[in-house]
Amino acid sequence: MSLQSDTAIGSRYESALLWVEDHLRWLLTLPALAVLAAFFVYPVGRAGVLSLYRFDVAGRQFVGLGNYVAILTAGAFWQSLWITAKFMFFAVSLEVGLGIAIAFVLNSQVRFRGLVQTIGLVPLVISPTVVALLWQLLYQNGGVLDSLVAPLTNGPVPWLSDPSIALYALVLPDVWQMTPLVTLIVLAGLQSVPDHVQEAAMMDGAGRMRRLVDVTLPYIKELVVLVLILRIIGTMRVFAKVFVLTRGGPARSTEVISMAMYREAFSYGNYGRASTMALLLLLIAVAITYAFATVSEVEF
Amino acid sequence: MATDTQPNRDVSRTLLAGVERIHETLDSYGLVPTVTNGIALLFVVWTLFPVYWMVSGSLRTRSDLLATPPKLVSTALTVGNYPELFAQRPAFYEFLFNSVVVTVGSTALAVLLGTAATYGFVNYEFPYNLGRFHLPFLVLTTRFLPPIVTVIPLYVIFDTAGLLNTRLGLVLAYAAFNIPFVVWMLKGFFAELPDSIVEAAVLDGHTELGAFFKIVLPMVRPGLIAATIFTVINAWNELLFAVILTSNTEAQTLPVALATFKTAYAIQWELLTVAGTIAMAPVLLFAFLVREKLLRGFTMGAVR
Repeated sequence: MSLQSDTAIGSRYESALLWVEDHLRWLLTLPALAVLAAFFVYPVGRAGVLSLYRFDVAGRQFVGLGNYVAILTAGAFWQSLWITAKFMFFAVSLEVGLGIAIAFVLNSQVRFRGLVQTIGLVPLVISPTVVALLWQLLYQNGGVLDSLVAPLTNGPVPWLSDPSIALYALVLPDVWQMTPLVTLIVLAGLQSVPDHVQEAAMMDGAGRMRRLVDVTLPYIKELVVLVLILRIIGTMRVFAKVFVLTRGGPARSTEVISMAMYREAFSYGNYGRASTMALLLLLIAVAITYAFATVSEVEF
Repeated sequence: MATDTQPNRDVSRTLLAGVERIHETLDSYGLVPTVTNGIALLFVVWTLFPVYWMVSGSLRTRSDLLATPPKLVSTALTVGNYPELFAQRPAFYEFLFNSVVVTVGSTALAVLLGTAATYGFVNYEFPYNLGRFHLPFLVLTTRFLPPIVTVIPLYVIFDTAGLLNTRLGLVLAYAAFNIPFVVWMLKGFFAELPDSIVEAAVLDGHTELGAFFKIVLPMVRPGLIAATIFTVINAWNELLFAVILTSNTEAQTLPVALATFKTAYAIQWELLTVAGTIAMAPVLLFAFLVREKLLRGFTMGAVR
């Protein structure tokens, strides 16, 4: 439809159009803001209310801050935070360490770099649920991983059923899936270092290491902070891999915070306690995000 | 650089000096390309093997797939697992259908609302400024909220609203989670447009709204495509919301079927590999078709 013909249409249409133009900023943003309010703000508020109740066979009972006291004084909550922190520590350090190393390798003399980059996309687009299944198949008794480590062990390894190993068996699929993200981001940063800057430094007599520290690192420093944030946030919310591979077991050795909350709400039906844990986790997430937003200059 | 603390710098210097020495030694034997290509090859094998293992598993018999020691290559391939999966109860195609509906619906909604909101945020001043924490920033911070925080109260809310176990409920929830993502991906594209472009279009006789559709949208098309790609992948892959907010084939999606496969179908790896392959195939095909855009998308926000 030609826009010039708009003027020919009745004045009611015209005044409606004027109203639309006058309120365009809200018409554009309010629908999205309303959805966000309904799915973020309202649930958090609702969690605040739910956290004041106890749910059991007798129905719901107002307990005030009782849930908070119970959770903060019992060991289970802290235990699942500790398990999450361990998972986070091992997964993030391996992903960021390996990811940066591979990025440097790919940035040097490597054939088919484009193809290798494309292959790096493969784990990133697969559902964490499927990733967990891929690894469950590899972890099969007498399966691929068992035969890979056979020279070092006597007999099959109880990857997912030994409480002292299971958490690391969850770290591995996460490392498999997310290391390429670090590699791709850092590699993009390395490739954004202009050749002439490198050449100029070389002309000035800067050795390979000097160039790395004073020329290359400043280019990727911000990116490394960014991937650190992305992975810390990402590992804090790990759920699918735990849900598929161990459901928090054996003996709760892999019960990360999201799994503990899932269990509290949907195995015990205690939405009050689960909501309390949700708000405490929210507090932690806000603190971490705020700390990074303050420390780094990365713009979100 | 001057602000770096000394000990930190010493550690990284020592580390780099070590790497540098290895590099020099290799270089003197002319081995650098061999080693870097070797590491790249190792990375490729490590990345592709698990995927190969599942896809090849879907074409094997159970005894062949679970043989000890594992047979890396099978000589007896069969496609029989595929029809067998679809013959199971509950019907597999129902999960597939739910996944398609929820992905398409939530993507359309998230991209539509997200695009409109981004344009609004970039082009107009907004009240409620609290230093860095103005309205658009708050929208973006929701990306950092762990989904488990909202999904538990959401379960209670959905229960009273009658949205539990409906595709509509999942569409709305996924759209909500993807809107901040769309805003984040698009804001750079909108910010790069010259301010005068809408004014010029209005002078040409377009209405402001008309200018948005006819002039602005085509100019941010690459951003729209990238945002759509990521929203589709997010929705197709999501488990947490789906597993909590749905309870049977009315609305359960593929990831739910896969995650609860053991209880739904008993553990039959020859069928589970088929289900896994079917869940991976669309995103892998999609990723291959738009690989350039995906690569840029994953590194965007970082580099731009």
